[in-house]
Amino acid sequence: MILTLARASLVRHRARTLLAILGVAVSAAMLLDMVMLATGMRVSFGSLLLSQGFQIRLAPKGTLPFDTDATIPDASNVVRTLMARPDVVAVSPVLGAQLHVEHGATSVSAAALGTIAAVQGDYKLLIGHAPTRDDEIVANDALLMALGANVGDTLRVAAGFDPQLRTFTGQRTLRAVGRVHFIYLSAGERALAMPLESLQAMEGASRTDRASLFMVRLRAGANVESARSAIEQTVHTVSAISTETAIQQVEQRLSYFRQLAFILGSVSLAVGFLLVTTLVTVSVNERLGEFAVLRAIGVRRTRILEQIMLESAVIMIVGAVAGLGLGLVTARYLNSILAAFPGLPEAISFFLFQPRDAWLSLGLLALCGILAGIYPAWRGASLPIGPTLREEAVA
Amino acid sequence: MTAALSLPLRAAIAFLAAAQSIDSLPPRHSPRSVAIDERLAADYSIRLGDTIVIAATPAAVGDTVVVSALVRRSRDPSEVARGAYRIRVHLDQLQRLVGYGDRVERFAVGTDGRTATDSALAAIDAAAFGFRAYSSREIAVESSTTFLVVSRFHRAIGVITIVASAIFLLCIMLLKVDERRRDVAALRLMGISRRTIVRSVVLESALIAVLGSIAGVAIGAIVSAFVNWHYQRVYRTPLTFSLVTAQIVAIAVGLSLGLGIFAGLLAAQRLVRQPPLSLFRR
Repeated sequence: MILTLARASLVRHRARTLLAILGVAVSAAMLLDMVMLATGMRVSFGSLLLSQGFQIRLAPKGTLPFDTDATIPDASNVVRTLMARPDVVAVSPVLGAQLHVEHGATSVSAAALGTIAAVQGDYKLLIGHAPTRDDEIVANDALLMALGANVGDTLRVAAGFDPQLRTFTGQRTLRAVGRVHFIYLSAGERALAMPLESLQAMEGASRTDRASLFMVRLRAGANVESARSAIEQTVHTVSAISTETAIQQVEQRLSYFRQLAFILGSVSLAVGFLLVTTLVTVSVNERLGEFAVLRAIGVRRTRILEQIMLESAVIMIVGAVAGLGLGLVTARYLNSILAAFPGLPEAISFFLFQPRDAWLSLGLLALCGILAGIYPAWRGASLPIGPTLREEAVA
Repeated sequence: MTAALSLPLRAAIAFLAAAQSIDSLPPRHSPRSVAIDERLAADYSIRLGDTIVIAATPAAVGDTVVVSALVRRSRDPSEVARGAYRIRVHLDQLQRLVGYGDRVERFAVGTDGRTATDSALAAIDAAAFGFRAYSSREIAVESSTTFLVVSRFHRAIGVITIVASAIFLLCIMLLKVDERRRDVAALRLMGISRRTIVRSVVLESALIAVLGSIAGVAIGAIVSAFVNWHYQRVYRTPLTFSLVTAQIVAIAVGLSLGLGIFAGLLAAQRLVRQPPLSLFRR
């Protein structure tokens, strides 16, 4: 009987019910988006950092990886020191630089990474092979397209530009031996990778045996935090950053989005709650006589309470389910806007869908629906039968 | 008073002169001045007149300098998320400290008006020194990509909020007008025209929208002040994060008024189309 009465009540004012469901759907969509925004960045960034299995990164003391032009001296000795540790499996030194690449009449500048092919974790090989010889490089699509070059082509690569003479300096002839995808670079950023020693040599004395970053892979089961702390105490020229610390630092920089997500998520819940409370309260006020009659013929107070709360829960849940679909569409759109952030790695997603987010949003909205029904339900169930019937009859 | 103060000073100078002649050290240059970030000063309890050492790398031997000024971060949004401290050093000293030679990263050139800027740009670019000159406008466009992205994101969120508000307002107006079925039926039976009833409902909804907008503007101004206070403390910057301008108020009130009138009109039309006697029924 409760179900039939609740359904009849909702169907009686179709336009009103439809608008309420629509309102809840928009609120639910916003709530889902904000829950996704609050957690997506952290999960997405964490999985990106761990994608190659390196748990610790070493940057020049007091800096974040590639945040400045600073480099770490005595790179080969640092590698030896780290490899001597029993909990370290692999160390990948990386040197970053800006190079000028010429192919035919075209010349463009590109980000260059000097790595050791056997242990590198910066790129994925798509075609060809990793660069191991002094005259070999691999490049990404953006660079090859800008140059109009292909794998196998010979390129003139320079380390610098002399503004006085208007000529390139430290120029070498290198061969593109592969096409790669750089994991940590933003979409469209032109980049190439080459053996670490080649890049150090091209950059001159200022970069001899220097690296911008070391990535450290630990043995399975090793304690990351204690390894990080021990490395920092052993190698004094570096700041050791674990994935957890890196995520915290990025979160700190982008804390605005997390706070925005919290505020807008709360506002969405409040709007949904207010909408349903108002609607059900007005609906109950219109049906005071109906409830008085039901009470007069012996229907228990709890049954009326259940019926009214069921009405509010139905509006909230139907709206929430519709809103989840809408939320996924808007999340994709909002993500496409934020993906245009300069320098943001292509793999980072601000809005990452996880089933847990959907359940959390649905649960919060269902809870709100139940809470929204409490006041009108209490009002409907606690009516004095006689006076209400008399008032309604007079009206 | 002057004499009392000058005596110890003279004594100190005499002591320094004596110390120098006894040690037979080469004449020492007094430390040069440096201006430091006020956040750095606050975090490390550095005061004006204090002596500090600056070096290019943690292990390097640096220069001893005297803190002569504290500087506040500019209202540059690109610096907001950066926690790094900044210090201002004499150009030649910095070039020597970092081994940069007689080089700079950029020159800022002051010009007298737009025409002078254009001709200066052309002249500098034409000079065969490998320079590339940019106008401030070009640099602003290049460096503001991040804020354009954030601005687009805010606009998209704003559209979603407007849709939600519109539905909410429509729903409330529908309920409000629906509640007055019997009043409307009585008015209609008394001979009041449909048009008059619709006008009165629309007027009422417009009034509600205006009052709601005024309350909204007041709440918005308070929230904006709180946002600025909170984020200026979090990021330690004088940057204004939230601005309630006359244009924004006009857009918000206009939008709210438009939506209110539309919702009232829709609800009233729906009501007056029904026969008066049927409105008495539940």
